[in-house]
Amino acid sequence: MTMSRAMPASLVLAILALLVLSPMAGLLHLSALPGYEAVDPRFWENAYLRRVVFFSLWQALLSTLLSVLPAILVARAFAMQPQLPLRRLLLGLFALPLVVPAVVVVMAVVSVYGSNGWLPLGRSLYGINGILLAHVFFNLPLAVRLLLPQWQAIPQHHWQLGEQLGMNTWQRFRFIEWPMLRESVPGVSLLIFMLCLTSFAVVLTLGGGPRSTTVEVAIYQSLRFDFDPAQAVVLALLQLGLCMLVAMLTLKLQRMPAVEIALSIAYRHRALRLRWFDLGIILLATLYVGMPLTSLLIDALRGPLGQTLGDLRLWQALANTLFIGLSAALLSVTAGWFLLQYSASLAEQGHSRRARLVDLAGSIVYVVPPLVIGTGMFVLLAPHVDVFDWVYPIVIAINALMGLPFVIRCLGPAMRQNHARYHRLCQALALRGWHRFRHLEWPLLRRPLGLAIALVAVLAMGDLGVIALFGSTQSATLALMIYQQLGAYLVAQASVTAVLLLLLCLGVFALLERCIGGSRDAKN
Amino acid sequence: MKSVLSCTGTLLVSLLFCFGLQAATPNLVVYTYDSFTSDWGPGPKVKAAFEAQCLCTLELVGLSDGVAMLNRIKLEGDNSRADILLGLDTNLTAEARSSGLFARHDLSLPVSALPDPWQDDLFLPYDFGYFAFVYNKEKLANPPTSLRQLVENSNGPTLLIQDPRTSTPGLGLLLWMKKVFGEGSDRAWAQLSPRIVTVSKGWSEAYGLFLKGEADMVLSYTTSPAYHLIAEQDSRFAAAHFAEGHYQQIEVAGMVRTSQQKQLARAFLEFMISEDFQKIIPTTNWMYPAITGADVVPAEFSQLIDPSPALLLDETIVARQRKGWVDDWLEVMSR
Repeated sequence: MTMSRAMPASLVLAILALLVLSPMAGLLHLSALPGYEAVDPRFWENAYLRRVVFFSLWQALLSTLLSVLPAILVARAFAMQPQLPLRRLLLGLFALPLVVPAVVVVMAVVSVYGSNGWLPLGRSLYGINGILLAHVFFNLPLAVRLLLPQWQAIPQHHWQLGEQLGMNTWQRFRFIEWPMLRESVPGVSLLIFMLCLTSFAVVLTLGGGPRSTTVEVAIYQSLRFDFDPAQAVVLALLQLGLCMLVAMLTLKLQRMPAVEIALSIAYRHRALRLRWFDLGIILLATLYVGMPLTSLLIDALRGPLGQTLGDLRLWQALANTLFIGLSAALLSVTAGWFLLQYSASLAEQGHSRRARLVDLAGSIVYVVPPLVIGTGMFVLLAPHVDVFDWVYPIVIAINALMGLPFVIRCLGPAMRQNHARYHRLCQALALRGWHRFRHLEWPLLRRPLGLAIALVAVLAMGDLGVIALFGSTQSATLALMIYQQLGAYLVAQASVTAVLLLLLCLGVFALLERCIGGSRDAKN
Repeated sequence: MKSVLSCTGTLLVSLLFCFGLQAATPNLVVYTYDSFTSDWGPGPKVKAAFEAQCLCTLELVGLSDGVAMLNRIKLEGDNSRADILLGLDTNLTAEARSSGLFARHDLSLPVSALPDPWQDDLFLPYDFGYFAFVYNKEKLANPPTSLRQLVENSNGPTLLIQDPRTSTPGLGLLLWMKKVFGEGSDRAWAQLSPRIVTVSKGWSEAYGLFLKGEADMVLSYTTSPAYHLIAEQDSRFAAAHFAEGHYQQIEVAGMVRTSQQKQLARAFLEFMISEDFQKIIPTTNWMYPAITGADVVPAEFSQLIDPSPALLLDETIVARQRKGWVDDWLEVMSR
């Protein structure tokens, strides 16, 4: 059985390696040509670069801690309040920050915390404060969404046992909830660490100046400003290496909980006193996430609504955005599915280390900048094909690649538990292939599957990078349109477009989550 | 059913007709920057105007900026589809020249509006502008009157600027400081640094933050107030006039050496320096047109500051020193 799972997974891994490594090889090959600088082996002696590496790690680490630790509290509060009014809407809201283009987030953060904002921080906003505020805005809600399903995986009898033993809140957390979280928290932290490590426009603009330069900026500089492909590849590998180190560390912390056969899973009803505490936490988090989004909405409502929405090209851009987002999500989830099936069967056979390495391989490609992949692909493709015909496939492929770590985080834990519970049963019943998917996996995994597809779709819809990179004669996506409007002094129109993008994402997210995740998802 | 069939038939015929037409008319490919091709840039109007006279299709390909265009064509080499590159500036021309990828245009500017005579056999300018610090007159009553004053007054206005590694105005300010302070520019940057609120990735971020009131002045162009005057009837914004003069940005286009349609490409360059093209520029690209003419420049442009003397460093010096200067800047600004 493992063999049949290893085959498609190896294919996915091979494609991943090809997608990531061949562009780098292409760039290195290019740098060997006359007119380009060769790899400088002494690059590490550069004091500036060392500072950049240190700063990248530091800000990413801080951002991750400040996102994940509060997210555990918030997710727990949501988990304990299944009957909360507007719960579904609030959780939908929590999926939004991730899709807002960086430049819009910068504006939104400044609307709230800038010198004329609602909670003015003045000059001290620019620097590590601004970076952290923006990164937590992006990532705290994401962590909440990814951690929340963990509470649902806790069997009912654990709670009952806890009650019989007279556990207090802390003991319940320590002995019932934490063991479930230990599978997810390290992985979610790693994902957020990668997101913050590769952050670019936010760090540069809110960071206050070149003191706040990340490796990602240095890669951009070497590939664009200096056009030194060798240096760009070296830096990209450095970033990959750093991330690998952090990943190894998180793997050490990760523990897979034993999976039990348990059929009834339900929520705890909590004492009234704690209910207020949960509500307070949810309110704070909602305010934090909601304020910048509200400021965007206010800007948009003040903007030229009719004029902007009456533009046919806007709707064309919307159609493009939708097409790219849905295609990338489908591709990403398919690839992720095969990888996770393989890693789940490895875990079930006791090779949990190898299983985690497969997951890691699928996730870590995220830190290779799309600029490096895109430019490398261009170097490889340009002599053979007309690249303009390939813009959409390339954009979709790169977005699918960038979505893979999200798929692995959403679907991985559920897939593993599912496999551990039912694999033997399936073997006994000779349930395999399509039938196994149809009768076992689909009903049990559709909820995380829905979340994964929805998340990757909105992520790809908010992405700007790759289309701008390849240059296109086709019409823009909404994210690109926002940049174009801002570049043409049209700040007001840009805020209308940004809110339209947000509403589109909200709609797509809700629809995908409901259609694929099923109506039971109302509780998630 | 019948009507569906006949509709499909008509559609097929008209599609065939379109393809037939397309095959018959030549296709001129112009690589340019994204904000040129955007719906609010000059692109759509330029395309319509040129296609009305050339019996051809003008294909505008938007890339992120001049640097991206140049890198792109270097990578494509002899296989490039591009006939024209439009949107390099004088900080990139030396590098573009030495790539050997461009052909002579054999044209001259009819009535140049540029402050200095234009002599370049590979590149032709289509617009130009001057970098300046823009401020809100209601909020800043006494703007500095020289770059030196801006630098030396430690209680001076707060600033938003762009990063020279990622932005054209950012690089422009770096060269402006070099031109004015020479060897002392590192010290000048150190003096200026405490008043720089932030250094953004691109012009859009800095200008957006400025409009939100995050600083007193923003690095932009002398022509920026014209946008607010013409498009918004808002006269609050002005560019501060600096006594040393303002650093120039001249945007140029060139013909690609491997182009199979040099005649058509040359016709486009000729169109580019004609009034039909030039009068589109001021209110779409918000720059000065490259030629003078009766109705090329809108009346509101006369309310803008006179940026003379125009400052510009020689392209070969810029090409040679740019990387070193940026490294020095990073060092000073990271302290």
